[in-house]
Amino acid sequence: MSSAASTSKSKPEDKSNSKTEEKQEARPHLGVLEEDDEFEEFAAADWDDSQTDMGALVAGGQAPGAAKSGGDKLWEDNWDDDDIEDDFSVQLRNELAKTGKGDAMEH
Amino acid sequence: MPMNFVTFLTQLNDALAAENGHNLAFLLRPTSPHAKDLLKEYKLNPTREKLSYYKGSVQEPWDDIAIQYVLTCSHVARRRSIEAFKEHGQLVSHFYTFFGQNSGWSLPALFSVLRDLRDLAFDADFHAKCNGLKSDSMEESARIITKAFTLCLQDRMSPPDQSRKWGVYYVVGLVLKCYFRVRRISLSKNILRALDANRDIPDLSLYPKSHQVTFRYYLGMLRFLNEEYESAENELTRAFYQCHIQAEANQERILTYLLPLRILKGHLPSEDLLQRFSHVRGLFSPFVNAMRAGDIGAYDRALENAEKKLLELNLWMILEKGREMCLRGLFRRVWITSEKSSRIPIPMFHAALRISGIDVEVEEAECLLANQIYRGFIRGYISHEKQMVVLANTNAFPKPAERASPFNFL
Repeated sequence: MSSAASTSKSKPEDKSNSKTEEKQEARPHLGVLEEDDEFEEFAAADWDDSQTDMGALVAGGQAPGAAKSGGDKLWEDNWDDDDIEDDFSVQLRNELAKTGKGDAMEH
Repeated sequence: MPMNFVTFLTQLNDALAAENGHNLAFLLRPTSPHAKDLLKEYKLNPTREKLSYYKGSVQEPWDDIAIQYVLTCSHVARRRSIEAFKEHGQLVSHFYTFFGQNSGWSLPALFSVLRDLRDLAFDADFHAKCNGLKSDSMEESARIITKAFTLCLQDRMSPPDQSRKWGVYYVVGLVLKCYFRVRRISLSKNILRALDANRDIPDLSLYPKSHQVTFRYYLGMLRFLNEEYESAENELTRAFYQCHIQAEANQERILTYLLPLRILKGHLPSEDLLQRFSHVRGLFSPFVNAMRAGDIGAYDRALENAEKKLLELNLWMILEKGREMCLRGLFRRVWITSEKSSRIPIPMFHAALRISGIDVEVEEAECLLANQIYRGFIRGYISHEKQMVVLANTNAFPKPAERASPFNFL
């Protein structure tokens, strides 16, 4: 422990350097890849649009990554469901009935 | 007939004369079949001394390149990864003196020797780690590959279609791959800055798709990790849509980061998309389902269950931000249950949270609602005095995808 302290005294610059480096690295710390899992080399250098998901865009011409309403069937931008019936709906309705009594007074 | 060293030199010569970059690449690959033949010729023990006999027998630097090749192969065969990396590094240096004076036809050979360099660096670091040694071969390989970047950029002689500049993006992609591997991604900034400073290169969209997709993937990842989400989404979207559909693992890598960004934007993956990518489906469908149902309890459970994996993948924070989208779904259900009333008491929302297992004070429920209004998920205002949410008569819960600049409200 004492040796560590003396090292840091004798080399104050080194220490601050490694600290800033640590800090820089800390935020984007990249645990992204598992050991064997990284972006792979492609088998071919180039290919045609028809071999990509651009080809999946309906009728062409749309910007990729729009949504179903924009002709891209891979994404949905209209996913609100007004007719979900589950336990939660029932509980919520009961709660509304209770709280709603108070609400009625306001009108 | 097994190849001997003299034949090897002749074939190199032929490839050079024919300006055949692919043949050159094949001849210089340690995994090519002739590697074994050449080692046998030297009874598996080629040395620089024995090989130096051939110095000057072909044009420079190809005598040195050929010698380095045999030495590299010999180390590879004996699984001396660190030595193999070093010898191949010298091969690359010799190759650079040739490459810097030639045009784009030699790019396939450049790509091949650099790819091998990176692979050998990977093995060297792995070998070192297993044996408790220190090795920074991957960083060293990034430095060597960066030199190729400069050589590609500096081509002012070749005709445009034969320019070494056509190698720029592949090389940058490879450098980024090295830095990502050793988790030193802050070092990527240097080469990207150099790339930005040199606009005298063809537009990225004119490069082969494999170069475009790899470059955009790493650029998108850097933006993602830097929390520049709009730019990240842009790059990753383009990477995904230009990726070859049979390169599924790569598409899945791209989607792993693209999908949560799209979610924050208000675009959920369709069933079609999830069906195609099982890994992505496994990771994200609990979140997507919870969002569709406005089930904040399920969303929180999904966050908790996948916490370790999400932290590993740097995805936890972005999915935590996605919680707001799920909360919107919950509040929307209160509105539906209230028959789309334009006046809903805050205690109603409070109750909905309670039923969902979110145990908070009514003040916090009010705060959550205020946040939703601020973020553009709900159109309306809060009457604190009356403890009432007053909603817009039309479009009280706009489609999340319709919000302007959704990434500014995270």
